[in-house]
Amino acid sequence: MTAQRVTITYSAPPAFLATDHWKQVYAALLSQLPLRNLHWKSATRPNIRTIQELDVNLVSAEAKQTEHTSQIPQTVLEKPLLSAYIVVCDDTETYRNTVKKQIKEWHSTVTQRKNMEWLIIHIVRPDAIATSGRMFQMKASVLDKIKADFNVEKRDRCVELVWAYDSDYENPTAWADLIGKLKDGILCAFDAAVAQREEEVKRSEGQRQMPGWNFCTFFILKESLANSYEGMNLYEDALDTYNELEILFFQVLREKNLSWFGTLINPAPKDDSLPLLSHSKKPYRDLILANTISVFDFRTYLLARQCSILGYLGHVVEIARKAVAFLSAFGRRLRDIEEILPTHFIESWTYSSALSVVEQCDAWATGLEMNKATIASFNAVKGELVELARHQLDIIGISVGHLPNRPPFSMAFPSNSRRDGGTPATSSTQRISKSEILMALEDKNAFYKVYIGITNRAIELYATAGRRKFALKMHGDLAALDVHRGRLSEALQTFTSLPAHYAPHGWTSLESYMLFQALGIHTAAEKPRDREWIFILLDFLKAYVQDLGKELLMNTEDHIEYVTSLVQALHEATQEAESDLSHHDHPAISVSVPNGQARTADNRDGALLEVQVTNALPCDVPADEVIINLTGRDGAKLTFLENVKSLKPGKNAITLFCHSATPGIYSLHSSQVRMSRLSLHWLHSSTPPPSSSSASRSKKPPTLVSIPRDIRALDVRLRQPRRMELGTPARIVVAFNTGRNHVTRASVKLSAPSGVEFRHNEATLIDSEAGEDTFVLSDVEADKTVYVSVPHSDASAFHAMRVNITVEYTTLVEPDVNRSLTLVRVVLTSLPLAINVEDFFRGTRLFTRFTLSSTSHQHIRLKSTELRATRDDDGLKIAKAMPRSRTVTTITPEQPGKFLFQLDSARGQDREPLKLHIIYRVLREEVESVIESAVDSSLSESVSLQQYRAELIDTLVQALEKDASWVNRYEATGELIVPGIPVQDGEVGEALAHLIETLANPSSNQEPSGEWREIIIPVDVPQMHIVAAARLRVLSNPFNPDAVESLPPLFAGQPISALLTIKASFHWAPAEDVEKRSYRMRYDIEERTKDWLVSGQKTGEFIAEDDRTFTTSVTLIALHHGHLILPKVSVAALPIPGEGRMKAPLIPSCETYQAHGAEAILVLPRGGRSTFVVNMGGE
Amino acid sequence: MAPQLRLNAVAFVSPQNHPILIRTFEQPRQDELKYHYIAHTSLDVIDERIQAATASKSTDCYLGLLYVEDVAVYGYMTPLKVKIIIALELSDSIVRDADVVAIFKALHTAYRRSVANPFLRLNVPTENVTDHSILVSAGNSRWQAFRKRVDEIGRASYGFVPSPLFLVTSKIQ
Repeated sequence: MTAQRVTITYSAPPAFLATDHWKQVYAALLSQLPLRNLHWKSATRPNIRTIQELDVNLVSAEAKQTEHTSQIPQTVLEKPLLSAYIVVCDDTETYRNTVKKQIKEWHSTVTQRKNMEWLIIHIVRPDAIATSGRMFQMKASVLDKIKADFNVEKRDRCVELVWAYDSDYENPTAWADLIGKLKDGILCAFDAAVAQREEEVKRSEGQRQMPGWNFCTFFILKESLANSYEGMNLYEDALDTYNELEILFFQVLREKNLSWFGTLINPAPKDDSLPLLSHSKKPYRDLILANTISVFDFRTYLLARQCSILGYLGHVVEIARKAVAFLSAFGRRLRDIEEILPTHFIESWTYSSALSVVEQCDAWATGLEMNKATIASFNAVKGELVELARHQLDIIGISVGHLPNRPPFSMAFPSNSRRDGGTPATSSTQRISKSEILMALEDKNAFYKVYIGITNRAIELYATAGRRKFALKMHGDLAALDVHRGRLSEALQTFTSLPAHYAPHGWTSLESYMLFQALGIHTAAEKPRDREWIFILLDFLKAYVQDLGKELLMNTEDHIEYVTSLVQALHEATQEAESDLSHHDHPAISVSVPNGQARTADNRDGALLEVQVTNALPCDVPADEVIINLTGRDGAKLTFLENVKSLKPGKNAITLFCHSATPGIYSLHSSQVRMSRLSLHWLHSSTPPPSSSSASRSKKPPTLVSIPRDIRALDVRLRQPRRMELGTPARIVVAFNTGRNHVTRASVKLSAPSGVEFRHNEATLIDSEAGEDTFVLSDVEADKTVYVSVPHSDASAFHAMRVNITVEYTTLVEPDVNRSLTLVRVVLTSLPLAINVEDFFRGTRLFTRFTLSSTSHQHIRLKSTELRATRDDDGLKIAKAMPRSRTVTTITPEQPGKFLFQLDSARGQDREPLKLHIIYRVLREEVESVIESAVDSSLSESVSLQQYRAELIDTLVQALEKDASWVNRYEATGELIVPGIPVQDGEVGEALAHLIETLANPSSNQEPSGEWREIIIPVDVPQMHIVAAARLRVLSNPFNPDAVESLPPLFAGQPISALLTIKASFHWAPAEDVEKRSYRMRYDIEERTKDWLVSGQKTGEFIAEDDRTFTTSVTLIALHHGHLILPKVSVAALPIPGEGRMKAPLIPSCETYQAHGAEAILVLPRGGRSTFVVNMGGE
Repeated sequence: MAPQLRLNAVAFVSPQNHPILIRTFEQPRQDELKYHYIAHTSLDVIDERIQAATASKSTDCYLGLLYVEDVAVYGYMTPLKVKIIIALELSDSIVRDADVVAIFKALHTAYRRSVANPFLRLNVPTENVTDHSILVSAGNSRWQAFRKRVDEIGRASYGFVPSPLFLVTSKIQ
């Protein structure tokens, strides 16, 4: 049905209509059409409607009159809106005589007509205007006369068209007046007609509740309005009208329950295959008028009309959207009466309609300019239509058995509908007519071809529309079809690739569904359960344990059973796997450490740790091993493991064992559950990459595990050797305690981060093999401590040395277990003592003084110092100056100890260095051992207190550390007064009180128990070429130097004779210079001008020979009285020129001591008389 | 009075497009997959709508009818970008948007009340307090109350109680 167009009729004298002149005018008039830019201002509408373009029929009045008019409301455009009369008359006379009459006749007929405007067009030639117009100005023109005769009211309904044969048709100015009048006339008539029709419609609608009102009649009436709008190209108004009709239809539907409609549907033979949007495929209006239209036809007609108007407007997206909604909704309604419809009618109708709408929309869309977003939504909605068609194939396929009755195919069934999938029984004898459907029903392969074709079409449309998720769903459908058709490998490929699209956003339900399909296919295809299968399965279980994952396992009645069988199959597959598999962070199982306190194993080395393994699956999971890894400081790693059989659903408490557990604090690093060759890993302590964007990932504090010390476990300690000898390679003592273990073999490796090297191969110990970087102990019984001394490179640069100890050992009880223990120990390397040596030569004797001082704040207890010769036959006689009364000496940093030794030796021997043996201990060590022994002896009486041993010792030591007031008393008396211990109740308090008492009153005077340390310091015997003893002796009789009589009194100022003797001894000369008999020497008497005047040879040279005395005499004068010390004499050896190979002068070493150094001489004041003259004054 | 709308399924989807909750009401078991698919595919349409809304600077939460596929799928996005998708039983009559919006408002309220539960955060790290997705990770067992509230709305739409929707919506105030 094409829209009714606006009609303009024209009349003229018949004679004129026959002329060529008219034909030309008519043609020219037509060329001005269609009319453009009409502005309709309606009284009932708020806005001016603009009609861009309006087609107009121009027909002669006679032709129009012949048409019959019916009672049925047609459009208001059916009758002409404008009637025009064409006048060609230049002559007023002619006009008055004939033409006016003709016009009058016409005018009387047209003015009677309602809703029609009229117009008189006066055609004049330009020359006529020129001649008549100008020349007879005084006379009224023909036009003026016409106006005067016919114009009523204010409207001017007469217009002049200046027409020339050869004038320009296109000249708009010539036509403007006429066209304007035409537009005005049309709009005016249209407005009046519409207003009248609207009035009628309103009246009719108001009678809706009255008996006898008929919707169909009303529909035709109101539709005529819509048609009128459409004819005027007022599409929005037309659409609004139809929409109002639709709303009214639904209202009426509810109120009156369709009493005007024959049936819901009266299926005609081709109903299911005709294009949906054609409103001419049936005589719809006639059916409506006859009140026999079915709801189906009516709704189809209404939709088709709406869509065709939308089509004019270019709203293709809306058309398709409307069609989808209509097909779905009305298809649903048809389901209610499916039994009276031909078999598959609904499906066939929906299918063909959907596809025909796509076609129709494409047709309408050609030439339309759409922006990108509109194109996308157009494709999307077309995709929806195609998908709708596809769903019909699903339903048909299931009902005839081409498809199985299960998702995703069964999803096409409307909810709450029958689900049996069979062909419904129908009372209708008709058959559907869509050839594609008919073919597909017959032929399975044809069906699949159509099915796949349609699906792919939908996928393509969705893809271009950017609806990726829709396309994914469709791919899933295709894969499901592949499964049904037995094309398993294609299906498997799709189903294994689909989960990746659903997983990232947590759509685990869909993910698990896809994986479930993949697993099913895998089984159906009898593919080997290989790596790939295992990973699909693991992914499935991963999705399954997440909350949404279970929701879609609708095919499996008892999914617990299903999962159980899967897990079982997984176990079998892992056993047969060719290589090790690992999988990270699987959520089905989680391992946690509920309590970070490990226990020691009672009967063997190692630690036990409780872990909680949570199995989120509903079935037992077979597993072989549960392992957790801990990391500690310096990269230490511990592995706890336990063999298990299976993990039951929920929480499993499992105790893991680590055979090599070094005590300390560790953090949980990772955990692992092994199932044959498959291992599941979880990383606990997250060391996330710094730029990690996954901020949402919960950041938990690390799980800490504390491993206690096992007192009975194998242990290795380091300490300084008890006996240290300087000058020999430094050693360290490794105390290897087996604890409860009978160690069959243990290798110990020491290394120091500071770079100190340990010479393991030079380790000296019992029963050891020394390797390059380890030493090995074999067959050490339990509870035995083996001390191994390991030399190492010089570490004196460090105060303390940090040593990493690695022990690998096996025990007799568990020969298969290789335990490894990694310990870090710090051992002091510095000496607590500083030693200073001073030597004093006295002839053939040597006095050596050692000054010992403490290098730290600690007091040092010295038990003995001893200087020993290396060899007994050295001829050395060493005597020690040491009071015997005291056994232990204490030195402190402020109070060094000095120890003097006297050496006598034979001359000229090669002397081995001497060794100073010092036996000492640090006060703290001593006190600690005192306390320990006191505690031990105290605890031996009470077994129950044994566990408090460490606590008691700690308490005491800490008390002593806080207050140093006890030190002096202890050092003097051995009584240890522990200060500041609060009185405690209970067993411990009593024990403590008892201990304090014991310590304060040591049982006897015996030396405190505990170990002493020994340090051996090599001391070279000093050498000296010449030892000179200078002596200045005052002679009582200068002439007899040998006289031994007491000195006469000496007076100041009196010359005193003195004898200088220098006795040389070559006793301490180095062995190689023993041959040398004499040295040239020089002496020099010190000038002490305040005390003495020296007269004589103050300075002189002499030849010194061994054990010979050089003698010379000098005279001294004391300058004042008092006890005066004699001047010192310095003696020096002169260089021996050029004797060495190097021809360099050699200066022999020489030491001089003043034999008279301690002597003082009493000088008396000078006697005699002194005369003082005192002036008495006066004369 | 509009006919009672029948609510077949509800889906809540987080701003990051993670499913929070998908519930179906009195639907055959076989159709669960369908509604999961619907929830998932709707996100495509919601994206289109959001783009269109951004272009037109619309701030309406209600996204309207998303598409029709045997059920009518409507969308709604809360100001904090949680998407609510409902599937209404298709009816061959005109559905008023106001009725649909009423359902969405009720669902939104149910969500809000559930998220407001302070105990949901019990074991959640404190640094991302504004990230709701942690709280609402799919089908969390702590989400029981929410599920119950949504189910109540679902049941109400089945119209066993006279105008139960109004009972629910009146709680909003």
